[in-house]
Amino acid sequence: MSQATLERGLNALREEIDAPVAAFFSSCVNCGLCAEACLFYTETGDPRYTPINKLEPLRRIWEQEFTLWGRVKKALGLTQPVTDELLQEWEPLVYDACSLCGRCSMVCPVGNDIAYMIRKEREGFVASGNAPEGMKGASARAVKIGSPMGVKFHAVQAQIRHIEADTGLEIPVDVVGADYLALLSSMEIMNFPEYIEALARIFKQAGVSWTLCSEAFEATNAGIQIGSSDIAAELVERVVKGAEKLKVKYVISPECGHAYTAIRWEGPNLIGRRYPFKVVHILELLDELRVAGKLKTQGMDEARLTFHDPCQIVRKGGVLEPPRNLLKQVAANFVEMSDHREMNWCCGGGGGVSANERADELRLKVFARKKSQLDELNVDKLVTACANCRLMLEDGLEEYRVELPVVGLTEMLAEHLVEDNE
Amino acid sequence: MADSNTEIKTLGESLRQRGVSRRGFLKFCTATASMMALPPAMVPAIAEALEKARRPSVIWLSFQECTGCTESLTRAHAPTIENLIFDHISLDYHHTLQAASGEGAEAAREAAIHENFGKYLVVVDGSIPLKDPGFSTIAGISNLDMLKETVAGAAAVIAVGSCAAFGGLPHANPNPTGAVSVSEIIKDKPVVNVSGCPPIPTVISGVLAHFLTFGGLPELDDLGRPKVFYGQSIHDRCYRRPFYDKGLFAETFDDEGARKGWCLYRMGCKGPMTYNACATTKWNQGTSWPVESGHGCLGCSEPDFWDGGGFYNAISIPDGDIARNIGLGAVAGVAVGAAAGMLNRNAKADAAARHETVTVDDLEKTS
Repeated sequence: MSQATLERGLNALREEIDAPVAAFFSSCVNCGLCAEACLFYTETGDPRYTPINKLEPLRRIWEQEFTLWGRVKKALGLTQPVTDELLQEWEPLVYDACSLCGRCSMVCPVGNDIAYMIRKEREGFVASGNAPEGMKGASARAVKIGSPMGVKFHAVQAQIRHIEADTGLEIPVDVVGADYLALLSSMEIMNFPEYIEALARIFKQAGVSWTLCSEAFEATNAGIQIGSSDIAAELVERVVKGAEKLKVKYVISPECGHAYTAIRWEGPNLIGRRYPFKVVHILELLDELRVAGKLKTQGMDEARLTFHDPCQIVRKGGVLEPPRNLLKQVAANFVEMSDHREMNWCCGGGGGVSANERADELRLKVFARKKSQLDELNVDKLVTACANCRLMLEDGLEEYRVELPVVGLTEMLAEHLVEDNE
Repeated sequence: MADSNTEIKTLGESLRQRGVSRRGFLKFCTATASMMALPPAMVPAIAEALEKARRPSVIWLSFQECTGCTESLTRAHAPTIENLIFDHISLDYHHTLQAASGEGAEAAREAAIHENFGKYLVVVDGSIPLKDPGFSTIAGISNLDMLKETVAGAAAVIAVGSCAAFGGLPHANPNPTGAVSVSEIIKDKPVVNVSGCPPIPTVISGVLAHFLTFGGLPELDDLGRPKVFYGQSIHDRCYRRPFYDKGLFAETFDDEGARKGWCLYRMGCKGPMTYNACATTKWNQGTSWPVESGHGCLGCSEPDFWDGGGFYNAISIPDGDIARNIGLGAVAGVAVGAAAGMLNRNAKADAAARHETVTVDDLEKTS
């Protein structure tokens, strides 16, 4: 068995230096605007949490090995090397204090995609053995058991049996030739099985041909979070093989943020080939059904409610309008948060932070940002479209002693569904 | 010219003999003190020192020059105390001014070196050609040899004018004679650069007064010029500066702005990058100076002012063949960029070749 070493880590950092990274580091004017965009800085006031500062190890490699002056300075002994101690010191900045939410990339005046670089920098931390224990465990479970939470398919089957017994609906599994393959996140399987039920009811009403896959049910990708393209590629490959085996036309990314980033945006690059199918987010599919008149709902939710934009789906995924279109169909009193759509604030638990127990205290502290956003609105209900956000929101609200129900958008739509064949 | 046979030994006696009153002398001392930014308490000290100053021997060497610097100092107007100080020194050798010629002249120079060895001052105007010693010789001696020989026993060297200070016009591109400044040859003696084309007479007499008063040379800037005269830019002392600050510029020599005395920056005034005392001491006994007479500063007290682009180009206009320079810069930039790109691509490719696939079994540092 091989092991993680500093040399492997440094090599991984070198591999990650590409034209955008070089351009970004050369362009940085040290203005510090990214600090004000990061909830880990705004809620703590700790300058170490300035996003660009989290990139110091990667920046040093770039400067010392990819720039002329850096090489000269290195030859003269004027530079500080990237050591294991440096990586250890930076590990909490890179993993505990960054949810890869990408808000910093939005405000950078010279257009530096800082989140893109942190994702790359994590490759070096993983290869040198400086990743948090919680995320190492989640990655190992994802690869060896099939899910970061250790969920096996028989747990899914158990939930299916419950739902089938409750609703009388059939949940299709391993149907070859179905149009859509629905993926699930283990949080949905274990904490929010209402999502599976909602899918079954909506798809039945809309006449969508769909299936689950016993070999590829897990949508989450611990490799993306810990920052290992090798592990991430293995997990993406699993989904692609499952979809190919069932010959589906589409794969549906569930109400989970980073799963969408993994399967939709990073996936083909990770495995190095085109998919023989298309990837849609569940909200995109539901909006298509709405436009086609296949998503019929009745009644309006009168509660004053707002929508928490999951960073990976909205800011990084570009799914901005579908959740609004869908919400307006069933909510009479929908209000927007102060910073919404692409400038929304993260729940604090993205990018693997929720899988990293060491970060719990910090995560709950910075949740103050989300709480103050909610305080401004005085809402009775909070809707979101990411199981991880939902869990983090519930956890944060409990910590701050706020009584506020959090629901998933798909499940809310299902509640208002017109089931005319019953 | 000072007569070497006179009985007069001190400056005070010399001045009184020429009809300068004690009051006039003290006024000069006060002006000198303020000009050199010395406190008023120094005035009696200057007066006392000058009064008692002994006649220093001065050897004046003229090399590749136009005699404009000498003209500046000896120009025809009512005698001033500056002139008298100049008269007071024992100017033992000066091509233009000395009566002697031929071997007699050179003998005077050698005698001055011999008698005052280690104490005399050498004033140089003009640059020194290095390409061929035959380009400029005096009595069959090349400028370089004469300079080295004369300076060997000097207390200090005063390089008068931009040619001696920085190479000046002979040094201008393409510099056919290989002209260099005094300071490029003399490394073991203090060299004061009194630049300007020509320099202001007061500045030369001020440096001499400083030497007579304190027995040493004034504080110099990074170009070897006395800070008291060259410490501020023309621009900072210019009476037209308020127009610059308001953005009011003359665009031609006969437009409304020119008639109203607006800033001459856009007509090529080099005042912002030129350090000299013209704006405060003025010329021709304080009558006027270039900017006051309606023409921009040429920057004559700065190195290589001849090669600084057109005199009528604003400072912000780049000099030289712009298209060619940009072309060469682009070609060099592309070449360096491509080489750096290749190097970086190799570094990245090497790293990729050394990549060991990360599996969940090697996330820990120790196996």
